[in-house]
Amino acid sequence: MSRQTPRPEELELPEFLMPYEASPPAPAPPAATAAPDLHQSGLWIFILGDMTLFGAFFAGFALQARSQADVFAGSAETLLLGVGAVNTLILLTSSLFVVVATRAVAADDRPAAARALLATLLCALLFAGLKLTAYGVELSAGYTPTTNLFFTYYFVLTGIHLMHVVVGMALLLVAWRGLRREAGGVSVSFVEGAGIYWHMVDLLWVVLFPLLYIAWLP
Amino acid sequence: MNTTIKLLCAWSGPALAIAVLGGLLLANVLPFPPAAFMSPDEIARFYTQSTTRTLTGFALTSFCMGFAFPLTGLIAVYLVRMEGRTPILTFTQLSCGAATGVLLTTPMILMAVCAFRPDRSPELIQLLNDAAYLLLFTPIAPFCIQNTAIAMAIFNDRNPQPVLPRWVAFANLWLVFLFLPGLLPFFFHEGPFAWHGVFVFWLGLASFGGWATMMGLVLRQAVLHDAAAAAGT
Repeated sequence: MSRQTPRPEELELPEFLMPYEASPPAPAPPAATAAPDLHQSGLWIFILGDMTLFGAFFAGFALQARSQADVFAGSAETLLLGVGAVNTLILLTSSLFVVVATRAVAADDRPAAARALLATLLCALLFAGLKLTAYGVELSAGYTPTTNLFFTYYFVLTGIHLMHVVVGMALLLVAWRGLRREAGGVSVSFVEGAGIYWHMVDLLWVVLFPLLYIAWLP
Repeated sequence: MNTTIKLLCAWSGPALAIAVLGGLLLANVLPFPPAAFMSPDEIARFYTQSTTRTLTGFALTSFCMGFAFPLTGLIAVYLVRMEGRTPILTFTQLSCGAATGVLLTTPMILMAVCAFRPDRSPELIQLLNDAAYLLLFTPIAPFCIQNTAIAMAIFNDRNPQPVLPRWVAFANLWLVFLFLPGLLPFFFHEGPFAWHGVFVFWLGLASFGGWATMMGLVLRQAVLHDAAAAAGT
Protein backbone atom coordinates (compact mmCIF):
# COMPACT_ATOMS: atom_id res chain seq x y z
CA MET A 1 0.00 0.00 0.00
CA SER A 2 1.71 3.19 -1.15
CA ARG A 3 -1.08 5.43 0.08
CA GLN A 4 -1.85 5.92 3.73
CA THR A 5 -5.42 5.31 4.77
CA PRO A 6 -6.96 8.74 5.36
CA ARG A 7 -8.19 9.47 8.84
CA PRO A 8 -11.99 9.79 9.17
CA GLU A 9 -11.96 13.58 9.41
CA GLU A 10 -9.97 13.81 6.15
CA LEU A 11 -12.53 11.80 4.21
CA GLU A 12 -14.81 13.77 1.96
CA LEU A 13 -18.15 12.55 3.20
CA PRO A 14 -21.52 13.73 1.94
CA GLU A 15 -22.93 16.48 4.11
CA PHE A 16 -25.65 14.21 5.50
CA LEU A 17 -23.04 11.78 6.87
CA MET A 18 -21.62 14.44 9.20
CA PRO A 19 -22.88 14.38 12.76
CA TYR A 20 -26.04 16.43 12.83
CA GLU A 21 -24.73 19.03 15.28
CA ALA A 22 -21.51 19.46 13.24
CA SER A 23 -23.29 20.37 10.03
CA PRO A 24 -24.08 24.10 10.08
CA PRO A 25 -24.27 24.71 13.83
CA ALA A 26 -27.96 25.19 14.39
CA PRO A 27 -28.88 27.80 16.98
CA ALA A 28 -31.98 27.24 19.07
CA PRO A 29 -34.75 27.46 16.48
CA PRO A 30 -37.16 30.36 16.69
CA ALA A 31 -40.39 29.35 18.38
CA ALA A 32 -42.47 29.97 15.26
CA THR A 33 -40.72 27.30 13.17
CA ALA A 34 -40.04 24.77 15.92
CA ALA A 35 -41.70 21.42 15.38
CA PRO A 36 -44.37 20.70 17.99
CA ASP A 37 -42.73 18.80 20.83
CA LEU A 38 -45.16 15.94 21.33
CA HIS A 39 -42.66 13.26 22.44
CA GLN A 40 -44.46 10.42 24.15
CA SER A 41 -47.85 11.95 23.46
CA GLY A 42 -47.26 10.83 19.85
CA LEU A 43 -48.06 7.36 21.15
CA TRP A 44 -51.69 8.42 21.37
CA ILE A 45 -51.75 9.01 17.60
CA PHE A 46 -51.00 5.32 17.26
CA ILE A 47 -53.39 4.17 19.99
CA LEU A 48 -56.34 6.28 18.84
CA GLY A 49 -55.56 5.56 15.19
CA ASP A 50 -55.48 1.83 15.77
CA MET A 51 -58.70 1.96 17.75
CA THR A 52 -60.26 3.89 14.86
CA LEU A 53 -59.30 1.02 12.54
CA PHE A 54 -61.03 -1.48 14.83
CA GLY A 55 -63.95 0.92 15.20
CA ALA A 56 -64.36 0.79 11.42
CA PHE A 57 -64.24 -3.03 11.56
CA PHE A 58 -66.91 -3.06 14.28
CA ALA A 59 -69.11 -0.65 12.30
CA GLY A 60 -68.80 -2.81 9.18
CA PHE A 61 -69.64 -5.91 11.22
CA ALA A 62 -72.68 -4.28 12.83
CA LEU A 63 -74.01 -2.93 9.53
CA GLN A 64 -73.74 -6.27 7.74
CA ALA A 65 -75.01 -8.24 10.74
CA ARG A 66 -78.35 -6.43 10.45
CA SER A 67 -79.00 -7.82 6.98
CA GLN A 68 -77.90 -11.39 7.80
CA ALA A 69 -79.02 -11.77 11.41
CA ASP A 70 -79.92 -15.47 11.03
CA VAL A 71 -76.58 -16.41 9.50
CA PHE A 72 -74.67 -14.46 12.15
CA ALA A 73 -76.64 -15.92 15.06
CA GLY A 74 -76.32 -19.47 13.71
CA SER A 75 -72.59 -19.10 13.16
CA ALA A 76 -71.89 -17.45 16.52
CA GLU A 77 -73.45 -20.46 18.28
CA THR A 78 -70.67 -22.69 16.97
CA LEU A 79 -67.89 -20.61 18.56
CA LEU A 80 -66.24 -21.91 21.73
CA LEU A 81 -67.86 -19.54 24.23
CA GLY A 82 -65.96 -20.99 27.20
CA VAL A 83 -62.56 -20.43 25.60
CA GLY A 84 -63.56 -16.87 24.69
CA ALA A 85 -64.68 -16.16 28.25
CA VAL A 86 -61.49 -17.64 29.77
CA ASN A 87 -59.40 -15.60 27.34
CA THR A 88 -61.27 -12.45 28.40
CA LEU A 89 -60.41 -13.17 32.04
CA ILE A 90 -56.79 -13.89 31.10
CA LEU A 91 -56.43 -10.56 29.30
CA LEU A 92 -58.10 -8.62 32.10
CA THR A 93 -55.72 -10.25 34.58
CA SER A 94 -52.77 -9.41 32.35
CA SER A 95 -53.82 -5.76 32.32
CA LEU A 96 -53.79 -5.83 36.12
CA PHE A 97 -50.20 -7.11 36.05
CA VAL A 98 -49.30 -4.27 33.66
CA VAL A 99 -50.67 -1.77 36.15
CA VAL A 100 -48.59 -3.38 38.90
CA ALA A 101 -45.52 -3.23 36.64
CA THR A 102 -45.87 0.43 35.67
CA ARG A 103 -46.45 1.41 39.32
CA ALA A 104 -43.37 -0.55 40.39
CA VAL A 105 -41.28 1.10 37.66
CA ALA A 106 -42.48 4.53 38.73
CA ALA A 107 -41.50 3.65 42.32
CA ASP A 108 -38.09 2.50 41.00
CA ASP A 109 -38.70 -1.09 42.15
CA ARG A 110 -37.35 -2.71 39.00
CA PRO A 111 -37.29 -6.36 40.20
CA ALA A 112 -40.98 -6.18 41.14
CA ALA A 113 -41.78 -4.58 37.78
CA ALA A 114 -39.88 -7.34 35.96
CA ARG A 115 -41.83 -10.02 37.86
CA ALA A 116 -45.14 -8.38 36.98
CA LEU A 117 -44.16 -8.12 33.32
CA LEU A 118 -43.20 -11.79 33.30
CA ALA A 119 -46.68 -12.61 34.62
CA THR A 120 -48.18 -10.45 31.85
CA LEU A 121 -46.12 -12.31 29.27
CA LEU A 122 -47.30 -15.67 30.58
CA CYS A 123 -50.92 -14.46 30.34
CA ALA A 124 -50.26 -13.36 26.77
CA LEU A 125 -48.78 -16.76 25.88
CA LEU A 126 -51.76 -18.51 27.43
CA PHE A 127 -54.16 -16.28 25.49
CA ALA A 128 -52.38 -16.93 22.18
CA GLY A 129 -52.23 -20.67 22.85
CA LEU A 130 -55.95 -20.88 23.64
CA LYS A 131 -56.82 -18.74 20.62
CA LEU A 132 -54.78 -20.96 18.27
CA THR A 133 -56.41 -24.07 19.79
CA ALA A 134 -59.85 -22.53 19.18
CA TYR A 135 -58.88 -21.80 15.56
CA GLY A 136 -57.80 -25.42 15.17
CA VAL A 137 -61.09 -26.75 16.55
CA GLU A 138 -63.15 -24.40 14.36
CA LEU A 139 -61.16 -25.11 11.20
CA SER A 140 -61.28 -28.88 11.70
CA ALA A 141 -65.07 -28.57 12.17
CA GLY A 142 -65.15 -27.11 8.67
CA TYR A 143 -65.61 -23.42 9.50
CA THR A 144 -63.20 -21.27 7.50
CA PRO A 145 -62.92 -17.53 6.79
CA THR A 146 -64.85 -18.07 3.55
CA THR A 147 -67.74 -20.07 5.08
CA ASN A 148 -69.87 -16.95 5.47
CA LEU A 149 -69.57 -13.29 6.35
CA PHE A 150 -69.67 -13.96 10.10
CA PHE A 151 -66.68 -16.26 9.94
CA THR A 152 -64.90 -13.81 7.64
CA TYR A 153 -65.20 -11.16 10.33
CA TYR A 154 -64.51 -13.62 13.13
CA PHE A 155 -61.23 -14.90 11.69
CA VAL A 156 -60.03 -11.55 10.35
CA LEU A 157 -60.83 -9.50 13.46
CA THR A 158 -59.51 -12.03 15.97
CA GLY A 159 -56.54 -12.69 13.64
CA ILE A 160 -55.56 -9.02 13.47
CA HIS A 161 -56.10 -8.82 17.22
CA LEU A 162 -53.81 -11.82 17.69
CA MET A 163 -51.13 -10.02 15.65
CA HIS A 164 -51.50 -7.11 18.07
CA VAL A 165 -51.00 -9.57 20.93
CA VAL A 166 -47.80 -10.87 19.30
CA VAL A 167 -46.48 -7.32 18.84
CA GLY A 168 -47.39 -6.60 22.46
CA MET A 169 -45.52 -9.70 23.61
CA ALA A 170 -42.42 -8.48 21.76
CA LEU A 171 -42.68 -5.08 23.49
CA LEU A 172 -43.20 -6.67 26.91
CA LEU A 173 -40.25 -8.99 26.32
CA VAL A 174 -37.99 -6.04 25.48
CA ALA A 175 -39.21 -4.20 28.60
CA TRP A 176 -38.76 -7.29 30.79
CA ARG A 177 -35.22 -7.94 29.56
CA GLY A 178 -34.37 -4.26 30.03
CA LEU A 179 -35.70 -4.23 33.59
CA ARG A 180 -33.66 -7.27 34.58
CA ARG A 181 -30.45 -5.46 33.69
CA GLU A 182 -28.98 -3.44 36.56
CA ALA A 183 -29.56 0.12 35.35
CA GLY A 184 -30.49 2.05 32.28
CA GLY A 185 -31.62 -1.03 30.36
CA VAL A 186 -34.99 0.41 29.53
CA SER A 187 -36.63 3.74 30.23
CA VAL A 188 -39.69 4.29 32.39
CA SER A 189 -41.50 5.80 29.42
CA PHE A 190 -40.86 2.66 27.36
CA VAL A 191 -42.44 0.46 30.02
CA GLU A 192 -45.35 2.88 30.26
CA GLY A 193 -45.72 2.98 26.48
CA ALA A 194 -45.71 -0.82 26.24
CA GLY A 195 -48.25 -0.87 29.09
CA ILE A 196 -50.56 1.57 27.30
CA TYR A 197 -50.31 -0.54 24.17
CA TRP A 198 -51.17 -3.67 26.16
CA HIS A 199 -54.21 -2.01 27.71
CA MET A 200 -55.38 -1.19 24.18
CA VAL A 201 -54.99 -4.84 23.14
CA ASP A 202 -57.05 -5.80 26.19
CA LEU A 203 -59.69 -3.15 25.49
CA LEU A 204 -60.09 -4.27 21.87
CA TRP A 205 -60.70 -7.85 23.02
CA VAL A 206 -63.21 -6.67 25.60
CA VAL A 207 -65.21 -5.21 22.70
CA LEU A 208 -64.54 -8.13 20.33
CA PHE A 209 -65.69 -10.80 22.78
CA PRO A 210 -69.27 -9.54 23.33
CA LEU A 211 -69.58 -8.54 19.67
CA LEU A 212 -68.66 -11.98 18.32
CA TYR A 213 -69.68 -14.35 21.13
CA ILE A 214 -72.28 -12.76 23.40
CA ALA A 215 -74.46 -10.53 21.22
CA TRP A 216 -75.98 -13.58 19.51
CA LEU A 217 -76.95 -15.60 22.56
CA PRO A 218 -80.71 -16.27 22.70
CA MET B 1 -27.41 20.47 -0.63
CA ASN B 2 -29.84 22.43 -2.67
CA THR B 3 -32.94 23.38 -0.70
CA THR B 4 -35.03 23.62 -3.87
CA ILE B 5 -34.26 20.02 -4.85
CA LYS B 6 -35.12 18.85 -1.35
CA LEU B 7 -38.39 20.76 -1.44
CA LEU B 8 -39.25 19.25 -4.83
CA CYS B 9 -38.63 15.79 -3.37
CA ALA B 10 -40.85 16.64 -0.40
CA TRP B 11 -43.66 17.87 -2.64
CA SER B 12 -43.50 14.65 -4.65
CA GLY B 13 -45.26 13.05 -1.64
CA PRO B 14 -48.53 15.00 -1.90
CA ALA B 15 -48.14 14.98 -5.71
CA LEU B 16 -47.95 11.18 -5.62
CA ALA B 17 -51.17 10.95 -3.63
CA ILE B 18 -53.10 13.43 -5.77
CA ALA B 19 -51.89 12.16 -9.15
CA VAL B 20 -52.38 8.48 -8.36
CA LEU B 21 -55.87 8.95 -6.93
CA GLY B 22 -56.73 11.30 -9.82
CA GLY B 23 -55.44 8.79 -12.37
CA LEU B 24 -57.43 5.96 -10.82
CA LEU B 25 -60.53 8.17 -10.87
CA LEU B 26 -59.94 8.84 -14.57
CA ALA B 27 -59.51 5.11 -15.21
CA ASN B 28 -62.85 4.43 -13.49
CA VAL B 29 -61.08 2.27 -10.89
CA LEU B 30 -62.13 4.80 -8.26
CA PRO B 31 -64.62 4.89 -6.65
CA PHE B 32 -65.63 1.28 -7.50
CA PRO B 33 -63.16 -1.15 -9.09
CA PRO B 34 -64.27 -4.31 -10.93
CA ALA B 35 -65.19 -6.72 -8.14
CA ALA B 36 -63.52 -10.04 -7.42
CA PHE B 37 -66.81 -11.95 -7.82
CA MET B 38 -67.62 -10.59 -11.32
CA SER B 39 -67.93 -12.95 -14.28
CA PRO B 40 -65.36 -12.76 -17.11
CA ASP B 41 -67.86 -10.91 -19.30
CA GLU B 42 -68.55 -8.29 -16.65
CA ILE B 43 -64.82 -7.77 -16.10
CA ALA B 44 -64.22 -7.48 -19.85
CA ARG B 45 -67.02 -4.93 -20.16
CA PHE B 46 -65.25 -2.74 -17.60
CA TYR B 47 -62.22 -2.45 -19.87
CA THR B 48 -64.12 -2.07 -23.16
CA GLN B 49 -66.54 0.65 -22.11
CA SER B 50 -64.42 3.76 -22.57
CA THR B 51 -61.04 2.43 -23.55
CA THR B 52 -59.26 5.71 -24.26
CA ARG B 53 -60.26 7.27 -20.95
CA THR B 54 -59.30 4.10 -19.07
CA LEU B 55 -55.91 3.87 -20.78
CA THR B 56 -55.20 7.56 -20.13
CA GLY B 57 -55.93 6.97 -16.45
CA PHE B 58 -53.55 4.00 -16.27
CA ALA B 59 -50.84 5.88 -18.17
CA LEU B 60 -51.11 8.82 -15.76
CA THR B 61 -51.12 6.58 -12.69
CA SER B 62 -48.22 4.39 -13.79
CA PHE B 63 -46.13 7.47 -14.59
CA CYS B 64 -46.93 9.31 -11.36
CA MET B 65 -46.13 6.27 -9.19
CA GLY B 66 -42.57 7.38 -9.96
CA PHE B 67 -43.00 10.24 -7.49
CA ALA B 68 -42.48 7.59 -4.81
CA PHE B 69 -38.76 7.50 -5.65
CA PRO B 70 -37.73 11.11 -4.88
CA LEU B 71 -39.79 10.94 -1.68
CA THR B 72 -37.95 7.75 -0.68
CA GLY B 73 -34.63 9.45 -1.46
CA LEU B 74 -35.43 12.44 0.75
CA ILE B 75 -36.59 10.20 3.61
CA ALA B 76 -33.25 8.39 3.32
CA VAL B 77 -31.30 11.66 3.65
CA TYR B 78 -33.08 12.43 6.92
CA LEU B 79 -32.88 8.86 8.20
CA VAL B 80 -29.12 8.75 7.70
CA ARG B 81 -28.80 11.81 9.91
CA MET B 82 -30.52 9.90 12.68
CA GLU B 83 -28.42 6.78 12.21
CA GLY B 84 -24.98 8.22 11.49
CA ARG B 85 -22.26 5.93 10.21
CA THR B 86 -24.11 2.61 10.25
CA PRO B 87 -27.24 3.45 8.29
CA ILE B 88 -28.90 0.02 8.20
CA LEU B 89 -32.45 1.31 8.53
CA THR B 90 -31.71 3.94 5.89
CA PHE B 91 -30.71 1.26 3.38
CA THR B 92 -33.70 -0.87 4.37
CA GLN B 93 -36.03 2.08 3.86
CA LEU B 94 -34.38 2.91 0.54
CA SER B 95 -34.68 -0.58 -0.90
CA CYS B 96 -38.23 -1.04 0.38
CA GLY B 97 -39.28 2.33 -1.03
CA ALA B 98 -37.83 1.37 -4.41
CA ALA B 99 -39.63 -1.98 -4.31
CA THR B 100 -42.94 -0.31 -3.40
CA GLY B 101 -42.64 2.05 -6.37
CA VAL B 102 -42.06 -0.85 -8.76
CA LEU B 103 -44.71 -3.08 -7.21
CA LEU B 104 -47.35 -0.36 -7.51
CA THR B 105 -46.46 0.52 -11.12
CA THR B 106 -46.74 -3.07 -12.38
CA PRO B 107 -50.48 -3.57 -11.72
CA MET B 108 -51.24 -0.30 -13.51
CA ILE B 109 -49.50 -1.70 -16.60
CA LEU B 110 -51.34 -5.03 -16.26
CA MET B 111 -54.65 -3.13 -16.17
CA ALA B 112 -53.56 -1.20 -19.23
CA VAL B 113 -52.85 -4.56 -20.93
CA CYS B 114 -56.47 -5.52 -20.22
CA ALA B 115 -57.71 -2.41 -22.02
CA PHE B 116 -55.06 -2.66 -24.75
CA ARG B 117 -56.81 -5.45 -26.72
CA PRO B 118 -60.51 -5.24 -25.81
CA ASP B 119 -61.36 -8.05 -28.28
CA ARG B 120 -59.32 -10.53 -26.24
CA SER B 121 -61.21 -13.47 -24.73
CA PRO B 122 -62.99 -12.40 -21.50
CA GLU B 123 -61.37 -15.26 -19.55
CA LEU B 124 -57.93 -13.91 -20.40
CA ILE B 125 -58.94 -10.39 -19.40
CA GLN B 126 -60.22 -11.79 -16.11
CA LEU B 127 -56.89 -13.55 -15.53
CA LEU B 128 -54.92 -10.35 -16.13
CA ASN B 129 -57.36 -8.40 -13.98
CA ASP B 130 -56.95 -10.91 -11.11
CA ALA B 131 -53.18 -10.63 -11.40
CA ALA B 132 -53.34 -6.83 -11.46
CA TYR B 133 -55.51 -6.45 -8.35
CA LEU B 134 -53.74 -9.09 -6.29
CA LEU B 135 -50.45 -7.44 -7.21
CA LEU B 136 -51.80 -4.01 -6.27
CA PHE B 137 -52.87 -4.88 -2.71
CA THR B 138 -51.19 -8.02 -1.38
CA PRO B 139 -47.42 -7.26 -1.53
CA ILE B 140 -47.50 -5.12 1.62
CA ALA B 141 -44.25 -6.38 3.15
CA PRO B 142 -41.94 -3.73 1.60
CA PHE B 143 -44.32 -1.01 2.68
CA CYS B 144 -44.69 -2.34 6.23
CA ILE B 145 -40.93 -2.79 6.61
CA GLN B 146 -40.30 0.69 5.18
CA ASN B 147 -42.66 2.26 7.72
CA THR B 148 -41.20 0.24 10.57
CA ALA B 149 -37.67 1.25 9.55
CA ILE B 150 -38.67 4.93 9.54
CA ALA B 151 -40.25 4.54 13.00
CA MET B 152 -37.26 2.70 14.49
CA ALA B 153 -34.84 5.29 13.12
CA ILE B 154 -36.86 8.11 14.69
CA PHE B 155 -37.04 6.28 18.05
CA ASN B 156 -33.26 5.75 18.02
CA ASP B 157 -32.46 9.34 17.00
CA ARG B 158 -29.89 10.58 19.55
CA ASN B 159 -29.43 14.07 18.09
CA PRO B 160 -29.96 16.84 20.67
CA GLN B 161 -32.46 18.39 18.25
CA PRO B 162 -34.51 15.46 16.87
CA VAL B 163 -34.35 15.27 13.06
CA LEU B 164 -38.05 14.43 12.76
CA PRO B 165 -40.77 14.68 15.45
CA ARG B 166 -41.56 11.47 17.31
CA TRP B 167 -45.25 11.43 16.39
CA VAL B 168 -44.15 10.66 12.81
CA ALA B 169 -42.76 7.36 14.12
CA PHE B 170 -46.03 6.44 15.79
CA ALA B 171 -48.03 7.45 12.71
CA ASN B 172 -45.83 5.19 10.58
CA LEU B 173 -46.40 2.26 12.94
CA TRP B 174 -50.14 2.87 12.80
CA LEU B 175 -49.99 2.75 8.99
CA VAL B 176 -48.38 -0.70 9.18
CA PHE B 177 -51.55 -1.96 10.84
CA LEU B 178 -53.76 -0.11 8.36
CA PHE B 179 -52.04 -2.04 5.58
CA LEU B 180 -52.38 -5.48 7.18
CA PRO B 181 -55.85 -6.24 5.67
CA GLY B 182 -54.08 -5.91 2.29
CA LEU B 183 -52.99 -9.54 2.67
CA LEU B 184 -56.57 -10.81 2.82
CA PRO B 185 -57.75 -10.52 -0.86
CA PHE B 186 -56.01 -13.86 -1.47
CA PHE B 187 -58.81 -15.57 0.42
CA PHE B 188 -62.01 -13.74 -0.51
CA HIS B 189 -64.10 -13.21 -3.63
CA GLU B 190 -66.71 -11.14 -1.81
CA GLY B 191 -67.15 -9.17 1.39
CA PRO B 192 -65.21 -6.31 2.96
CA PHE B 193 -61.84 -8.08 2.73
CA ALA B 194 -61.95 -8.92 -0.99
CA TRP B 195 -59.82 -6.63 -3.17
CA HIS B 196 -62.81 -4.41 -3.92
CA GLY B 197 -63.87 -4.44 -0.24
CA VAL B 198 -63.86 -1.32 1.88
CA PHE B 199 -61.05 -2.53 4.20
CA VAL B 200 -58.73 -3.36 1.34
CA PHE B 201 -59.50 -1.00 -1.52
CA TRP B 202 -60.49 2.25 0.15
CA LEU B 203 -58.52 1.75 3.33
CA GLY B 204 -55.43 0.74 1.35
CA LEU B 205 -55.55 3.63 -1.10
CA ALA B 206 -56.43 6.16 1.61
CA SER B 207 -53.57 4.93 3.82
CA PHE B 208 -51.05 5.06 0.99
CA GLY B 209 -52.16 8.52 -0.10
CA GLY B 210 -52.24 9.72 3.49
CA TRP B 211 -48.78 8.36 4.20
CA ALA B 212 -47.22 9.99 1.12
CA THR B 213 -48.88 13.32 1.92
CA MET B 214 -47.89 13.20 5.60
CA MET B 215 -44.26 12.28 4.94
CA GLY B 216 -44.00 14.94 2.21
CA LEU B 217 -45.37 17.70 4.43
CA VAL B 218 -43.33 16.67 7.49
CA LEU B 219 -40.14 16.59 5.43
CA ARG B 220 -41.00 19.92 3.82
CA GLN B 221 -41.15 21.43 7.30
CA ALA B 222 -37.80 19.84 8.20
CA VAL B 223 -36.19 21.12 4.98
CA LEU B 224 -37.46 24.65 5.62
CA HIS B 225 -36.26 24.42 9.22
CA ASP B 226 -32.77 23.39 8.02
CA ALA B 227 -32.69 26.21 5.48
CA ALA B 228 -33.69 28.75 8.14
CA ALA B 229 -31.05 27.41 10.54
CA ALA B 230 -28.36 27.58 7.81
CA ALA B 231 -29.35 31.12 6.88
CA GLY B 232 -29.24 32.17 10.53
CA THR B 233 -25.52 31.35 10.90
